[in-house]
Amino acid sequence: MVQVKKLKDGSRQIILTAKQFDEITKVLSELAAKTKASTILMADISGQLITQRGNTDDINTAILSALAASDFAATAEMAKLIGEDAKFKLLFHEGEKRNVYLSNVGDNFFLVVVFDVSVTLGLVRIYTKKAIQNLLSVFDSTEKGDDAGKILDQDFSSMLGDMLDESFK
Amino acid sequence: MFINWALQEINLKIVYYGPGMSGKTTNLEYIHSKLDQSLTGELVTLKTKEDRTIFFDFMQIEVGRIKGKKPKFNLYTVPGQVYYASSRKIILNGVDGVVFVADSQKDRMEGNIETLLDLENNLMTMGYSLETFPWVIQYNKRDLPNTESLDILQKKLNFFNVPHFEAVAIKGTGVFDTLKSIINGVVQHVQAQL
Repeated sequence: MVQVKKLKDGSRQIILTAKQFDEITKVLSELAAKTKASTILMADISGQLITQRGNTDDINTAILSALAASDFAATAEMAKLIGEDAKFKLLFHEGEKRNVYLSNVGDNFFLVVVFDVSVTLGLVRIYTKKAIQNLLSVFDSTEKGDDAGKILDQDFSSMLGDMLDESFK
Repeated sequence: MFINWALQEINLKIVYYGPGMSGKTTNLEYIHSKLDQSLTGELVTLKTKEDRTIFFDFMQIEVGRIKGKKPKFNLYTVPGQVYYASSRKIILNGVDGVVFVADSQKDRMEGNIETLLDLENNLMTMGYSLETFPWVIQYNKRDLPNTESLDILQKKLNFFNVPHFEAVAIKGTGVFDTLKSIINGVVQHVQAQL
């Protein structure tokens, strides 16, 4: 299981192991190949980019994830307003050159698929659905990652402090 | 917080919260203008025609590697106006730390209090509490003539005695001190939870 830890105060921590990351990347590569999508991102619902595939040089994918997460969150509120019980599962934005297809992956993640208008939506839908199933089974694998304590020790804090001083001169 | 062991990345989300026109976007603009380009991404602002934030501003900053790990900080602002309540709630999703940007002007006290209560309500629906959650206060616009004294601001807004900073965000005064403090606060908070 991808660790989504609830800490004592209610805050959330998502930890991805190297193996899970590799498997997720593999699923996205396959999806990119099958749909000829130009860019594919996976992000968590708070807007943090997890991994990306395809042509990502010309696109600021950190920003794209943040915007897509807000897009999802905004439509979830819309769903509530019109009396839907659950969030909308997918969003589709139609452009002149490119379309964007966004779909939930479980409760904590989503996929962003950017593809050329010449690719049919149906194809993207089918393969994305399949990819989501594969991703969910990766998430279910039982491997456990090291927790944040391994990184964020006392040493780390003081070094981070120095780095910030250096950067914020 | 999101940790990616494959890329050795730690992602933290920090949200600048506060009443309308208190200077949240100005904080981000200053950070963006002063940080080395290699450390900061583009600053995205979703604004109305009148230059008011309609959804949020976003910027990612990095500080290089520490013990092989790469911390990344995702900075967001929320729209201050009362009627964007649901946008504010959305932006708080997955937040690790909050900077409350208060407007020091005397006639803005009510707006500060109202927005702080709104923050507390939103945090509570997510299972957090201002008492234990990492947050700091920035008293902005200290250069204006009709500002409230620090003493009164502290009494009325800082009831949990969190770190506070006097600032003139447009000139950069206090901006980096505030950011550094919240980053430290978040990291310490994570340590304390373990």
